[in-house]
Amino acid sequence: MKKFLTLLIVAIQFSFTAQEANDILSKVVTKLNSVNDYTVNASVKANIPMIKILPSKATIYFKQKDKFKIVSKGIVILPKQGFTEINGFLANKKSYLAVAGDTLKIGSVMTKLITVIPNGESNEIILVKLWIDTKHSAIMKSQITTKSNGSVTTTYSYGDYVTYGLPSELVFEIDVKAFKLPKSVAADINKSTTEKKTKPNKKGVITVTLTDYKVNTGLSDAIFTKKK
Amino acid sequence: MLLKNTYNEFIKILSKPRSYLGIGALTLLVGIIIFAMKADGRSIISFVTSSFEQTLTFNGDVLNGNLIAFIILQMLIVHIPLLVALVTGDLISGEAAMGTIRMLATKPISRTNIVLSKFIAGAMYTLFLTLWLGLIALFVSRQIFGTGDLIVLNSDGLVILQDADILWRFGLGFCVAFLSLLTVSTLSIALSAFAENSIGPIVSTMAIIILFTIIGSLDVTVFDNIKPYLFTTHMASWRSFFEDPVPFNSINQSIIILVVHNIVLVAIAVYKFNKKDITS
Repeated sequence: MKKFLTLLIVAIQFSFTAQEANDILSKVVTKLNSVNDYTVNASVKANIPMIKILPSKATIYFKQKDKFKIVSKGIVILPKQGFTEINGFLANKKSYLAVAGDTLKIGSVMTKLITVIPNGESNEIILVKLWIDTKHSAIMKSQITTKSNGSVTTTYSYGDYVTYGLPSELVFEIDVKAFKLPKSVAADINKSTTEKKTKPNKKGVITVTLTDYKVNTGLSDAIFTKKK
Repeated sequence: MLLKNTYNEFIKILSKPRSYLGIGALTLLVGIIIFAMKADGRSIISFVTSSFEQTLTFNGDVLNGNLIAFIILQMLIVHIPLLVALVTGDLISGEAAMGTIRMLATKPISRTNIVLSKFIAGAMYTLFLTLWLGLIALFVSRQIFGTGDLIVLNSDGLVILQDADILWRFGLGFCVAFLSLLTVSTLSIALSAFAENSIGPIVSTMAIIILFTIIGSLDVTVFDNIKPYLFTTHMASWRSFFEDPVPFNSINQSIIILVVHNIVLVAIAVYKFNKKDITS
């Protein structure tokens, strides 16, 4: 009887935290879904071990549900995950289980941790952790763990477009331990192996500053199919 | 007299079919590389960036004219010494083989000036070959593939150089590449002074380049003291202009070593040619 009661209490508590998590996520998703499309100018600064690149500029186009395009004059490095995956993943409520966790203060904002676990095993995403500003229903920090690409932690900052849930700055922290250069093409004849044995940092940071949002302007699908 | 003789030597180079062999081979090779990159360049690039692309995406035009020109340079700079030696290795020994060396020595010009005029004519041919490579590699590639940022893969990782920051690197890179090829040209002329036939200096030049390159690439401590003084170690210095920041000190050191090689080799050629018995 005692065991049953304990189990019942745990089940009820879990159901409450799941309900709370779903409510919070639902508000976030509603906010994100209020943006049908947007265009934004991005300034990308990448500090990644083994890659030297100067800050670069690009224009980002997005249209629901998952149309995403980056146009730039030069080369722009961005993380493979982090821009649109969360929107698409959270939109399908049946595909995951959400659990509310602890509260955490990020900067001056109090956030609630929501852990999202996908239901299916076939999903590339293994786990998503979201720290959500419940006051504005905005994601302040996320951590996406995938099967093949490790985890990406993103910190969000908001400006004028917080009402749409659109950030003004994204800071991606990516795992770079798997970087290996093909020896056949990377070998410098004149450099000895002793020079190459410098251990790279484990984390790479990409900072994307987003300015001049143009939201819900009715972007044409042709933008996403056109080459450059 | 030196200038007139240099002009004559250059005319001699131009009159030989083998001089056009190098230019033709270069044009064909660049054409093949550009065709291959146009047909399957993306997969070649992804082979280089695949390790990074597990976590990152490279947006923008990665496969552009600047990258193609860099790839062409990297591929061909290894083979151009043969094309240079093919012509310059014949400059003195060819005269001996054809029997025209006696007639040449009877002209009112010193033997030293004869060697110097051959050296200058060889240098002009090498410069023409380098400029031709630059012209077809850089300008044709940029015309076909367009311009853009350049991704360079070094042993330390990737360096991405902005489009506006590239042309001067190519310009200085070509200058250092020319100096490297000039060393090959001078070496073959110096060897040519010792030989009585054309094949010997050409093959010897290539054998020396291969030998020195192998010594340079071996990670054996016993060779560590020799490596910095081998001219082959500095033949790839042009590539340093595509590093960030540019290691000017190491480039300057390479330039000094290549220039010293040229001076020493010309001196050897002059000495040997002055002592050469042309009567028998």
